[in-house]
Amino acid sequence: MAIDGQLEVRDIYTAYDKADVLEGISLNVVPGKITCLLGSNGAGKSTIIRSILGLTPPRAGSISFGDKDLTGLATHKIIATGIACIPEGRKLFPKLSVEENLHLGAYQETSKDVVRQRIEQVFEIFPRLHDRRLQLAGTMSGGEQAMVSIGRGLMGAPKLLLIDEPSLGLSPLFVKETFKIINKINEQGITVFLVEQNVHQTLAIAHYGYVLSKGQVVAEGESAVLAENSEVREAYFG
Amino acid sequence: MDIGFLGQYVVNGLMLGMMYSLVAVGFTLFFGVLDIIKFSHGDVLMVGAFAGLTTFFGLEAIGIESAWIQLVTIVVVSCVLTGILGSMIGKYLVLPLKSAPALNTLLITLMAGTVLRECIRLFFPDGSNPKPFPSLLPSESYSWGNFTLRLDSLMLLIFGTLVIVAISLLINKTKLGLAIRAVAQDGETAKIMGINFTLVVIVTFAIGSGVAAIAGIMNGLYYNEINFDMGLLLGVIGFSAAIVGGLGNIYGAILGGFLFAGLQTFGAVALPFASAYKDVFAFAVIIMIMAWRPTGLIAERTSERV
Ligand SMILES: Nc1ncnc2c1ncn2[C@@H]1O[C@H](COP(=O)(O)OP(=O)(O)OP(=O)(O)O)[C@@H](O)[C@H]1O
Ligand SMILES: [Mg+2]
Repeated sequence: MAIDGQLEVRDIYTAYDKADVLEGISLNVVPGKITCLLGSNGAGKSTIIRSILGLTPPRAGSISFGDKDLTGLATHKIIATGIACIPEGRKLFPKLSVEENLHLGAYQETSKDVVRQRIEQVFEIFPRLHDRRLQLAGTMSGGEQAMVSIGRGLMGAPKLLLIDEPSLGLSPLFVKETFKIINKINEQGITVFLVEQNVHQTLAIAHYGYVLSKGQVVAEGESAVLAENSEVREAYFG
Repeated sequence: MDIGFLGQYVVNGLMLGMMYSLVAVGFTLFFGVLDIIKFSHGDVLMVGAFAGLTTFFGLEAIGIESAWIQLVTIVVVSCVLTGILGSMIGKYLVLPLKSAPALNTLLITLMAGTVLRECIRLFFPDGSNPKPFPSLLPSESYSWGNFTLRLDSLMLLIFGTLVIVAISLLINKTKLGLAIRAVAQDGETAKIMGINFTLVVIVTFAIGSGVAAIAGIMNGLYYNEINFDMGLLLGVIGFSAAIVGGLGNIYGAILGGFLFAGLQTFGAVALPFASAYKDVFAFAVIIMIMAWRPTGLIAERTSERV
């Protein structure tokens, strides 16, 4: 039974060359909630995102979003089902302006008016980007680049937003701000799948979480429960 | 040297520069989106010229005599056919080799170019000899002293300029152009934006090839002759122009095209006793520029790609 707006990853195996990086991952991203994925460096978190997006398609297993089977689809078709991504390391187009980067976030939106409206909405969240809309993204500061990347992820008005380590390389103050914004995005009805290493703050806003280690899910549960979980405590709270 | 003769050289140089730029733009577009060198580009141009000539024969055969209708039809048919040829090369020869070393793509497109050239030589009626290309443009000319400006040259120059402006607008002002630039900078992130990567690459190949067809037809109209191996030298020159301008940058390609033509023209003027050496002179200077600025005049670092 497909649940509308739910992302379901079922027993996927994903490899880059030969060795599997993901060894039978299953998880659900419940609509309207923030689901998080924790795990140390190299656990395979970004690989899960790449698998969902079809950038590194799984060699086995299946992925579906609502009633749509995403397995084997080209990336642009997966995006068309209402998924957007704020990738690890921002991945802005450095030689395009802030505005052009935002436009690309709404590439599949055909109405110019809608795109313009959404850009205005992004400028409301990040007024700083309005002042710098013609600046080349590559010349922005790290924090500003993070804003562009988040704004670009919202431009497509996705049902589901995949966010890969948004706090990477940001000052503690801006990290806090970022988590607030993610929470706000979710409150507006966008389902969030959040990959993070920042355990405290992530579990504070997430409803449900998975813990990944060496390509396998080693723990899962409601955030509050997960925070008390001994394995998680061992791995993260030392 | 008489000022009128000099003017003649300038017009000729501009004409060459225009054709070289149009070829170089293709090289730079292909490199932009896929980081590859497509060595069949010159031969695709040649096919474009022959497609134009064939269209002309076809129109004559069905009794369409108006030079303007002929001209427009020739350009449109040739651009479309050549665009299709270019996108097929992109789809079936270049894209499948995306994860292979770039050298393999170079080799396979080099061979594809040879196949095209030999096909025209063997299968086009009397294909191994130069073919007269019809003069479809008005033949009036205006003279000021020693300087004669042919109306057809002027029209070709204006048309070439329009094509260059159109490409630049397409790349910089349209949604397709934005997608091409995004793919050029980061193909994977472009996919995450929902861009159909394969389609953008194929369309880019079609555009670059269609533009080459225009250069091929300009060449035919200007010299009133086309040849099965015309793409060889034009390809090498277009490639050099793209490299010297800074591969991946369309303004660099245009600059490189006119620079090469300027050098050739200068060689022909400065070495009147040995104007046959103008190509040698131009290539020698290009080699020196490359030694001076190995990444091209407009280096990719400092400029927007494509
Ligand atoms: N493009 C690639 N080619 C080959 N191996 C890769 C590639 N990308 C990732 N890997 C390997 O896959 C494994 C998981 O990487 P992944 O990027 O998914 O980890 P991660 O959990 O996101 O780590 P981090 O927290 O450091 O971002 C690592 O061992 C990594 O070396
Ligand atoms: Mg990662």
